Formats: sequence, C-alpha cells, structure tokens
Amino acid sequence: MRKVLLAFVFVWSVALPGVVLAQAPAPAAEPAAASPQAPAAAPAPAPVMLTDADIKNISGPSADDRAKGDPAGTMTGTATDIPRSDAAKGLTLADLVNQVGQNQVAINFVWTLVTGFLVMFMQAGFAAVETGLTRAKNANHTMMMNFMVYGVGMLAYWLIGFAIQEGGVGAVANLGGTAPLSAEQTITLFGKTVGIFGKNGYFLMHNGTYDVGVMVMFLFQMVFMDTALTIVTGTAAERWKYAAFMISSFLMGAFTYPLFANWAWGGGWLATLGSNFGLGHGYCDFAGSGVVHAVGGMTALALGILIGPRIGKYNRDGTANAIPAHDIVLVLLGCFILAFGWFGFNPGSTLGASGNGNLRISSVAVNTMLAGMAGSFGAMLYMWIRYGKPDASMSGNGLLAGLVAITAPSGFVNPVAAVIIGLIAGVIVCLSVEFFDRIIRVDDPVGAISVHGVNGLWGVISVGLFADGKSNYGGSWNGVSGSVTGLFYGDAGQLVAQLIGVATLVGFVFTMSFVINLVIDWFVGQRVSAKAELEGLDIPEMGSLGYPEFVLKAE
Amino acid sequence: MVFLGIIVTVVGWLIAVFSLTLTTSNSGRLGIVMAGIVVSLTGILGVLNQAYMKNAIWKR
Repeated sequence: MRKVLLAFVFVWSVALPGVVLAQAPAPAAEPAAASPQAPAAAPAPAPVMLTDADIKNISGPSADDRAKGDPAGTMTGTATDIPRSDAAKGLTLADLVNQVGQNQVAINFVWTLVTGFLVMFMQAGFAAVETGLTRAKNANHTMMMNFMVYGVGMLAYWLIGFAIQEGGVGAVANLGGTAPLSAEQTITLFGKTVGIFGKNGYFLMHNGTYDVGVMVMFLFQMVFMDTALTIVTGTAAERWKYAAFMISSFLMGAFTYPLFANWAWGGGWLATLGSNFGLGHGYCDFAGSGVVHAVGGMTALALGILIGPRIGKYNRDGTANAIPAHDIVLVLLGCFILAFGWFGFNPGSTLGASGNGNLRISSVAVNTMLAGMAGSFGAMLYMWIRYGKPDASMSGNGLLAGLVAITAPSGFVNPVAAVIIGLIAGVIVCLSVEFFDRIIRVDDPVGAISVHGVNGLWGVISVGLFADGKSNYGGSWNGVSGSVTGLFYGDAGQLVAQLIGVATLVGFVFTMSFVINLVIDWFVGQRVSAKAELEGLDIPEMGSLGYPEFVLKAE
Repeated sequence: MVFLGIIVTVVGWLIAVFSLTLTTSNSGRLGIVMAGIVVSLTGILGVLNQAYMKNAIWKR
C-alpha cells in the first residue's frame, strides 16, 4: 500500500514540474467589454441633463388619495415610494439613481432565489424517479437516501464546500458584487497563474462573507451541489450501506464537487483556459452538464464499479437479467418534477434577469424545454424501433438525458441546435444503458451513469460544437471578450477547452471519487450483507418498511 | 490491478493537461487531449472494472 502511495506521489511530482505553489488573492474581475457590435450610422441624440431641481418637481399621489385605496394600481409604485436619504431635501437625483441600482440587484436576487427554490424541488423528482425504478422492498431505504442527501450535502457545503468552490470567484456584478469572495489559492501552471480552490466563506461567516449577495450565491450553488450528490444514490441503490452513503455524500459535498466547480465556475484553471492558453473562452459550462451532472455521473460510475452489481442482476455466464421498476407511475411523475425544476436550473444560471444580457433567459428556457422534448422522442423512438414498444422508463430517461445534455450549452446555442443536442442525447442514453448493462456489467438500477455521466459529457462537448456566438452576457465570458463560439461556427479552440474539461471529469473527478469511496470501503464497508440485500434494505438498514401493508416476495 | 487502473486513469488526465504546453496548435492539442481521454477510459473500463469483475458476486 505504502509503495502504491509513494508511486502516486512520484507520478505527481514528475508529471507537474511546472507547478509552483503560490498564495495570492484572486485577481479583480475584469470590467465587461463594450458591446462588440454597436451601430455606427445615426448620430447620437443630445443627452438630456437631469438635475436635482427636475427631480424635486416630480410628485406622487397625495396621502389623502392613497388613503382611499388603489384598486386600479395607478397610484402604487410612484415617486412617493422612492426612499429619500434626507427628508428635508426631498427626492434627489442620487436617491433616484440608487433606487435604480437597488431595483436591478433586487430583480436579480429574486430571480436567482426563486430559480434556486425550483432546483431544490428537483430533489423530490430524483427521490420519486429513483424509488420508483427500484424494488418495493428497498423503497424506504432509497427514499431516505434521497431525503437525507439534501441535509448531509448542505451541511458539508456550508462548512467547507462553498468556500472551496466560490471563495475566490470575485465580484459577481448581477448580485451586487459579492466582494468578500475574493481569495483564490493559485499555482503557476506552465508559466501562467491559475486558480485551484477558494478560501473565503467557511460557515458563511469567514472573512466578511456574512453578506446579502453571498447568501444568494450560497443558496443557488448549494442546490446545484445537492443535485450532483443525489445522482450517486441511484446507481448504488438496493445495496449501499446507509452509513457509507452518509460519509461518501458528506465528502463529495465538501471536496469532490466543490473542487471541480471551482475549476469551472469559481475562477479556477479550467475557466481561464481561454485567457491563459488561448482556447476559446475557456471551459464553458453554462448550468452544469459537466459540473453537476458529469461529476455526479463519474462518481456514480466509480461507486458502481466498487460496490458491484445487485444479487440476481447477472447470471453465471454474465448475461444480464432485467430487474423491473416497482412503480413506473412514480418514475414518470418524478421526471415531470425534474423537468419543471430544470427551468430553475438553466435559466437561473444567469444569476440575474436584469442587465448584462440576462434577457437571454427566455432563450435558455426555450432551449431547455426543446432539448427535453427531443430527448424523450429520441429514446422513445429508439426503443420502439429496436424492441417494438415505446418503453416508459427509457422515455423518462430520454427526457432527463436531453435536459442534462442541454444544461451546459443552453445559454450559448440556438433552438435548432438544442433539438439536435437533445435528440442525440435521447439515443445516447439508450445505447449507453445497454453498454454498461451488458458489456461493462456495471449495474446501475436507474441509469444514472448514462443519463448524467455520459450525457453530461455530451453536453460539455456540444458547447464546443454548437455555440453560435450570439449570446452576450455583458460582452465577455470567463474574461475573454466576445461570445462563446463552437467549432461549427469557427472556433476550434473552444472544442479543445471543452475536451480538456471532459478529460478532467473522466481522469481526475472519477479517480478522486473512486479513491475516497475505496477508503470508505476499507473502514466502513460500502455494501450491505447478502442476507440484507435479499431481504430488502428497509428493515435491516432503516428499521421500517416503505410499504408495510404490501406482501413482499422473498427471493 | 486496482491501483494500476487508478494510475492509468490519472495519467490520461495528465496527458490532456500537458497538451497545453506541448503544442500551441488547436489540432495538435485536440489530438493529445483525445488520446488522454482514451487512456483514462482504458484505465476505468479496461483495467479498474476488469479487476473488480474477477471477483464479481455473480461469479462466486
């Protein structure tokens, strides 16, 4: 064992000669570039000069009028409602301008919080899908994993994970700055300074992070992190020891997820592949096909290999048996809940609805629904043509696959590309489930590796292919001016950046997840006993049945 | 075999990272990164999974 660890350290030290540890504050966020295509023909109209004197003459409805009520809504929301900094001076230009600024941030706060609430509700969708796709004898156990992953993930993320992910993200203009998130650990990689993890925000109290903008950021990023964690419970369902699940989920929420999320979203080295190495706009993942879904999917694959297949899944000759879902109604209901939550997941990832090109939320939302539709069609038609029936569970997985795949490109592509991406995802999920089930023999009761892992990677790649260069979120992305543009629209470098992200997910995230879970296996054990597995995990692991009035069939 | 699988998987990632310094051409980097991904996948599916398959529960 020691030799292996030494070998591992040796590989690191040999392989990364250009890496020098350094501690430096994160660079201040670059100012947004000017809009790249401003019309130049007509002369600009003369500016209208406003003074405090003009503002002072603006009057709202009188107190007497307001006291009579406002059924038409014409007296509510006028100059009267703008707070005065000095009552004696009356309304000033400064009051007006401050109110405009606060309104913009308020709109963005409300938008980001409400979309975060939608993403939180996706936990219910995951719980329904995973419980429905497994057997009735494990219903309590599967549901309880999906229930508690919310709490254990949140605890880990509040204590540690958020600081690692977002502690050095810098100013997020949409949310009024988030100025305290300003400390990123950096290293020198091939002569360039790159970020590797954040350092501000532990407990949401550390170094000034008790801040309204930081709170919005935390809530939104936390529910994303929890989505990644709950993906894993599906693959390991029906045989995962509950104590191991708790520890594994805590460590994933504290370290694995936040680390990759920092690299992609927190100003880390993947995000700066464009500004440092000339690769397009760096690794671009609008809402998390890679950060959320592929991280969850790669961890699910690691655990699926480690924990092994369920008893009865494979015969002695290696042929696979189908283990049917116990409640397909619950599965499809869960898929609908997830599709609803995805309207928070993707459009909410603008972190605002006002300013900086955020009106593109409409395009993001439409791309999301189109790709989901195309995914469900792709999977249903594939199953219908290949097996003669439009399989319900695979149609549901096709919907989810389309949604997973469009998550990264949703902010950068047009509706036709969204349909193509979703349709391909729907077919990929069917092929991938067969591949893992019959060839690789990794037992995945809910198809999470295929839905989230494989299609998460496809989503990341699709940005590098289909990004059309029309999006403009404040004039730049990842510190590179202009719009994200994929190979089909002329930028091959963007595809390379996306593939480096894929390589990191497959090579680094998988390995980190595997090693963490291997250590848990040594100390706690990952898998329940064969007796408990055959009996069903509800009584041995949870102490009560999910369906106490059912007559369960013993194997 | 398990540890070999882990190392092969990580080496695949390092190959992809080193594409940043080995060449500045996009096509060169593309080829190197693709090679790195293939190496990592080989480590996962060809080495690591096979190591666990040897003692799979359905073979006992």
